[in-house]
Amino acid sequence: MEPAVHTSGLRRTYTRRRRDTVVALDELTLTIAQNEIHGLLGPNGAGKTTLVKILSTVLLPSAGTARVLGHDVVTATKAVRSLVGLVLGGDRGLYDRLTARRNLLFWGALYRLDGRTARARADALLERVGLADRAGDPVEAFSRGMRQRLHLARGLLHEPRVLFLDEPTSGLDPVAAAAFRRLVLDLRAEGRTFLLATHDMDEAAALCDRVTLIDRGRMLLTGDPARAERFLGDRECVDFAHPDPALIGPLELLPGVTGVERGDGGTWRVHTADRDATRRVLGWLLDRDVLTARHGRPTLEEAYLRAVGDRGMRV
Amino acid sequence: MSLLRVVWHAVRLQVALSRRSPEHALVLLIAPMQTTTMLALTLAAHREDVVANAVLAPGLIGLWVASLDYAGRIVTEDRWAGRFPALIAAPVMFGLVVVGRVATVVLVGTAAFAESWLVAAVGFGRRLTIAAPGTFAIAVAATCLATVGTATLLSAVFVVSRARDVLQNSLGYPFYILGGILVPVAALPDWLHPFSRLVFLSWSADLLRGAVHGDTRGWLRAVLAIVALSAVAMAAGLWLTQRYVDRTRREGTVEFA
Repeated sequence: MEPAVHTSGLRRTYTRRRRDTVVALDELTLTIAQNEIHGLLGPNGAGKTTLVKILSTVLLPSAGTARVLGHDVVTATKAVRSLVGLVLGGDRGLYDRLTARRNLLFWGALYRLDGRTARARADALLERVGLADRAGDPVEAFSRGMRQRLHLARGLLHEPRVLFLDEPTSGLDPVAAAAFRRLVLDLRAEGRTFLLATHDMDEAAALCDRVTLIDRGRMLLTGDPARAERFLGDRECVDFAHPDPALIGPLELLPGVTGVERGDGGTWRVHTADRDATRRVLGWLLDRDVLTARHGRPTLEEAYLRAVGDRGMRV
Repeated sequence: MSLLRVVWHAVRLQVALSRRSPEHALVLLIAPMQTTTMLALTLAAHREDVVANAVLAPGLIGLWVASLDYAGRIVTEDRWAGRFPALIAAPVMFGLVVVGRVATVVLVGTAAFAESWLVAAVGFGRRLTIAAPGTFAIAVAATCLATVGTATLLSAVFVVSRARDVLQNSLGYPFYILGGILVPVAALPDWLHPFSRLVFLSWSADLLRGAVHGDTRGWLRAVLAIVALSAVAMAAGLWLTQRYVDRTRREGTVEFA
């Protein structure tokens, strides 16, 4: 079966100033099967949005090839556009002064839906994303979550077989984000393929069949979320409080300790490579009268940052 | 057919947007004031023979201002509002959306003709009669078509040149002169005539004035000239708009950074 998405040696560079070239995607080769939910993980500036834009024909690649359901995104642009839906996250991208329904009808026309079909689908989608009661309200009165759902409805209007979602739950409250994820799973059950660009590791773990980690445009790995977790390294940590920083030096030298971070108010987090190392740390702390310690697992986000390095706010 | 549907939906989109954006109608405030000024000057000079010019000129200026004012905004506003990526990701030519939206604004601009006529009738007691109403209607229709084509071209030129404000401010008066709106082309220096005839307004102004006075000689040639200039401008506008879309895709400037 033709893969939903296939890229080969895909590269995209931007020229910011004369001779100042930024590599946004670097030799990316990726295959996504039909009916898969594929997570694209990475921090800001990793190249996630660039890939989504290239696959949805909004951006041209500098080199390499990208195909969607067998159609080249550069030479068969029109065919690709009919097959894919693009859902960009955020508050923007809609006609704010128009109603939700009017927005959808306009986009329906751009996808060449006849009037009756566009109206029927707009109403059905508004119902499905929970906006039926607000269909006649101007979008400017919508919350971020409602706009996000309207974005999804717009992306689904022409019944695309492949959907590209870029940070779709960014800024949503947990309830809205959970509802959004349920909707994605329902749509997958209908046979659609998703490429979900996100930096929310837990979201990717909850939704995706496979994930690809990218950083600075380069692929770090592709595999099931468990493999990504293994790649991201230690998933054990010990939190404790102690006022004397002198304690930390010897602690860092214990076998299996991969790092120690200082928190607020004399708190510390010790990262360990495995369960044995965690036991060793707990015993060591107990011997030094540190009687209150908590064993846990860092978030995927923290693990990701440790794996690719914290570059602060630089992109 | 589906292409016309896209244009039609862009028209409806613009109607809906303009209904919720009263500032779009501000252009209609200009025509009554210009009519008042021109008619006052004309009548003060006892030039009853050019009353028609004074009434028709604000209508043409209204059309031009409507297209000039709004044409430059469409693409820029879509980019600022983050709509541009989704618009160009759709499987239709983005230029058609621009055409539909510009057409709506131009149609609103035609109200300037009615405003001028009303100001002349109510304010100055001069009821302008049209000796050749059929020719006049054809002239108005052709002029609207040409304005849509020209506005589509201007829209593309504005975004490609990135000098919208400068161009908007500079393209008013020169076109009123070259277009024979304020004074007939025949009254301009001979060397200006060839340039003037490249501006559809020059044909429109002559045709409209001729229709009012019943002088319809050469009306078909004038209409064909207007339609031809409209087609050239429309084709150039669509081509340039597509070039702009392609450029943003190539350079990665679809959205403002």
